[in-house]
Amino acid sequence: MSVAVKALEMTRQATEAIVKRAETRFEAHRQEIFRSTDRMFAGLLIAQWLGGIAFAFFFSPYAWAGKVKTVHAHVWIAIFLGGLITSLPVMLAWKRPGETMTRHVIAVAQMLWSALLIHLTGGRIETHFHVFGSLALLAFYRDWPVLITGMTTIAVDHFLRGVLWPESVYGIPNPEWWRFLEHAGWVIFCVSFLVMSCRKSMRDMQVMAERGAELEALSENHWRKSSVVDRAATDAGAR
Amino acid sequence: MEIMNAMGTTGGYDRVRLPGPNGTARDLSRRQFEALPLRERVSYLIEGTAQFFRGGQPINPSDAMKG
Repeated sequence: MSVAVKALEMTRQATEAIVKRAETRFEAHRQEIFRSTDRMFAGLLIAQWLGGIAFAFFFSPYAWAGKVKTVHAHVWIAIFLGGLITSLPVMLAWKRPGETMTRHVIAVAQMLWSALLIHLTGGRIETHFHVFGSLALLAFYRDWPVLITGMTTIAVDHFLRGVLWPESVYGIPNPEWWRFLEHAGWVIFCVSFLVMSCRKSMRDMQVMAERGAELEALSENHWRKSSVVDRAATDAGAR
Repeated sequence: MEIMNAMGTTGGYDRVRLPGPNGTARDLSRRQFEALPLRERVSYLIEGTAQFFRGGQPINPSDAMKG
């Protein structure tokens, strides 16, 4: 093999190694973000569950049928439906952190928690802010498809409950037919900016990883030059 | 003249000259260079064949990569 071909092969191998390391760094950074956000949501989902139960106990602990006092359905809904919504994503965050499915399940669960809290508070408009807070928290993943999952979940929930049980979602029995569209419009407004932010953030992470690769490549070039100089000096000394 | 790179920081280079086929050269803006595949950029930097310029003056690759 000629010296030129050998040099070309060395450059190719070094290039591959540096690019591979950059890809690994980028992926490791992404995974760290996914895993830490999974952990954050696991804690948040449990806190929401406990908070939902406490809220139901505090505001609607009992139902009355004549003189018979029973535990209000809201309490059971908070305990059992809340537990059902919380259990799968928390289990996935614990057992399969960083996986794509985990964060999409978490997105669905988080938006279902918004829906449940809206129901438990009798469709209070203030509780709808939980939807926007949840979308902002989902943006911590910097993975925009997760936001689409969350947005779709809450849109389907509002549409179905708006048709079947409007009091549960809007607090009134006969809202305007377009109320669902108004809510959906604000969610789309919010999500479109969060998607842009996620994409930019991911691009910045990639640029950082590539900048590291360029600096490594420069080091490699310096090392090669210095090796040649060192060899020449050694050869000259030997003569 | 302040040059803004993809990271939003300033400094570094504004043009790059890369070797082309048959001893020719091609000049790229910083944005064009940064749009090249990483593999290609890394290979130029390892070989030391990319020449960096700032305000028309050639600069050391190490200085070019600082900004």
